[in-house]
Amino acid sequence: MSHIHIDVQNVSFGYEKGKEILKDISFHGGENDAIGLVGANGVGKSTLLKLLVGLNTEYTGSIRVEEIPVEKDMLPQIREKIGYVFQDSDSQLFMSTAYQDIAFAPRNYGFPEEEVERRVQHALEMTGITHLKDKQIFKMSGGEKKLVSIATILSMTPDIILMDEPSIALDPRNRRNLIHILNSFDHLKIIASHDLDMILETCNRTILMADGKIICDGPTKEILTDKILLEENGLELPMCMQHPVIR
Amino acid sequence: MSKIGNAIHEIHHMDLIAERDQWVNAIHPLIKFVITIVYIAVVVSFYKYDILGLAGMVLYPLAGFILADLSFKDSLKRLRIVLPLVCFIGIFNPFFDRIPVEILGIRMNAGVISMITLMMKGVFTVLASYLLIATTTIEKLCYAFRLLHVPKILVTQILLTYRYITVLLEEVNRVTQAYALRAPKQKGVHFKVWGSLTGQLLLRSMDRAGVVYESMLLRGYKGSFDYIGSKAKVRPQDIVYLLFWIAIFALCRKVPILVVVGNMVGGLFV
Amino acid sequence: MHMADALVAPAVAGTMYVCSAAAAAYSVKKVRLENDPKKIPVMGIMGAFVFAAQMINFTIPGTGSSGHLCGGMLLTALLGPYAGFLTMIGVLLIQCLLFADGGILALGCNIWNMAFYGCFLGALLIWKPMMKKGMSRGKIILASILGCVLTLQLGAFSVTVETLASGITALPFVTFVATMQPIHLAIGFVEGLITAAVLVFVYEARPEILFASETVKEEKARFSFKKTMVILAVAAVVIAGAMSLVASSNPDGLEWSIEKITGSTEVENEGSVYDTAEAIQETTAVLPDYAFKNSDSALGTSFSGIIGGLVVVGVCVGACYAFKFFKKKES
Repeated sequence: MSHIHIDVQNVSFGYEKGKEILKDISFHGGENDAIGLVGANGVGKSTLLKLLVGLNTEYTGSIRVEEIPVEKDMLPQIREKIGYVFQDSDSQLFMSTAYQDIAFAPRNYGFPEEEVERRVQHALEMTGITHLKDKQIFKMSGGEKKLVSIATILSMTPDIILMDEPSIALDPRNRRNLIHILNSFDHLKIIASHDLDMILETCNRTILMADGKIICDGPTKEILTDKILLEENGLELPMCMQHPVIR
Repeated sequence: MSKIGNAIHEIHHMDLIAERDQWVNAIHPLIKFVITIVYIAVVVSFYKYDILGLAGMVLYPLAGFILADLSFKDSLKRLRIVLPLVCFIGIFNPFFDRIPVEILGIRMNAGVISMITLMMKGVFTVLASYLLIATTTIEKLCYAFRLLHVPKILVTQILLTYRYITVLLEEVNRVTQAYALRAPKQKGVHFKVWGSLTGQLLLRSMDRAGVVYESMLLRGYKGSFDYIGSKAKVRPQDIVYLLFWIAIFALCRKVPILVVVGNMVGGLFV
Repeated sequence: MHMADALVAPAVAGTMYVCSAAAAAYSVKKVRLENDPKKIPVMGIMGAFVFAAQMINFTIPGTGSSGHLCGGMLLTALLGPYAGFLTMIGVLLIQCLLFADGGILALGCNIWNMAFYGCFLGALLIWKPMMKKGMSRGKIILASILGCVLTLQLGAFSVTVETLASGITALPFVTFVATMQPIHLAIGFVEGLITAAVLVFVYEARPEILFASETVKEEKARFSFKKTMVILAVAAVVIAGAMSLVASSNPDGLEWSIEKITGSTEVENEGSVYDTAEAIQETTAVLPDYAFKNSDSALGTSFSGIIGGLVVVGVCVGACYAFKFFKKKES
């Protein structure tokens, strides 16, 4: 087995006692997995992603990232390996310019300034936004902010990428661009989204969640083409598989 | 445009002109900050009847505006906040300070003079601050503050506030617009929703702070960080620029430059 | 409420800068001791929130006018005095730089007048003691109103004293105070009500984010309270000393207005006119050929001044354009 993997076993979690948001979740993600995490609103997709990076550690069961248990003391090592892209870019990007924001993590991990610069440059190139290097965040469009958000985590060269609704609020061209970038990252990635068409294009595997549980885990092309299964769980077939209804 | 819309526009506009690639903008922020502070201090230190001496101080904003290609019109808008207060204080001088004086053959109260100098001070100081902020971005100014040993925590906090002002102004703008659309006849926010409207905004901002914190944590944040990126050095021409203006200010403070020049010019003709 | 640069003398501005800087240094130390990494993002965003929320117009029932939020007291209730104070500094600085709301030189005064009273006194004299035995709706409303009224009263009084000590206005002290205080009583009351409404909402929705919602260790609270009072006392002495220095070197400063309160009521008093006229004479005598005087030369001097002004401005504009022209050619 390669060194890049995530193991989740029998994990349950709730903010309040007796009100569990996640119930007995188990799955394994390997190096070449691209996992789409789908499900209706409020089924616990974001909560699950946050558990994986240790933003909540009061869960039961076991989560291991590359054999390191997700526990308080282990968080710095784990977070060096995982990049997390938040749904709201404005909250993720708190520095003034793209460069500053992308350099934030490498600086915190104590890299010398030349190495920081090299990493920022590389992340900018990977996301195709070298022209935004010194632009101020507050002047950027939604699409630009999303790409910078992705670059901020790529500058740590993570083994694993987690994304929460990355295509939300993007125009079609930016969304297409995002899909290209996601496909160029060939390590383990987990993408939580309602944009099933994007999942179809970027993920080879899909986990369908409902009511805090994993309903189904399998190849994307099987799950996202199963009309009955999707509709039972508050979803629909991806747009490209529906017959267009034009009025 | 609404007041908040205006404010957002103003912030973007200021940033745009402060970022222009010009030599005044390229002068080291610390130098420009020091010149501004000295200028303002010299302006306000003029005696309240010393109208001619004070008038000489017009040189700095005048030269600065031309050199930095700034529009006087834009800067005058900023006077709308300062002038009412200054006028309110100054307007009483003619009534309480009634020593008679004569200027250009016109008899008037000394209070009129002090009122005019006060207003001149108001205009000059605002122009000088505008000149600073229109040629220096907030990030660069904050770098100057760091050089002046302002604690990191304060500078970081200023920059974070600056970063999120536009985000939150836009949010407040949306909320108040949505409110106004459903309450067409009200000028402001009705007192029944004072708490809930603002309180919800506050809770959302708190949540946002929580997410920002998480985003920091996930990228290795351990309690403090340096916000400043570009660290410019003071160049020789910056020092020249500083000394030049300090000399001019000193000259204007000591000698009524306008009168002296006027006498010289007058002497040519007599 | 924001003081403009034109309203302060350098000595007054400097004094207030020192006092505000001392309070800021103490706050930085305190916040560092708290060692709560989450404080930094929360402070930054709450600063932006106050900035934005102060732009909302709240209709005051029964009147056509509107009120605004009081930032100092709100931040205190959310972040505590020290973090609240630092946050307010950021807000005031950005207001001053971006919107010319308050001057750069007068920033020290503005920090003191608005942030210090609101955060330190509002927290330590009102919020903390009142919330010690648990919070309630009523207590929050009362504390907000008291805090805002106190903040604005002290703030307005400080504005008056700073302006008079700077020798800016000929307005008698009593008249000035008598105008400023009642206006700010009304403003403070309204700001208090708005702040109370917001805090009550927060209290009902998420009480845990309010400051001191868990009972603070009493001993610690008393310690910081005592220390603050010491700082306050020292600051008062420093300010009083500096002000009296300014006043004694400035015939029209505080002393003059104090004289007004204590005795000579007549503004048109022969003697005082004579004294002031002499004071003007003295300053203008340093430069005998310039500034106006009640003499024949006055006309000549003013005339020279105007001619000189035209020439100097002309030369300056010409030189600048020439400089710009050559700069452009260079590049």
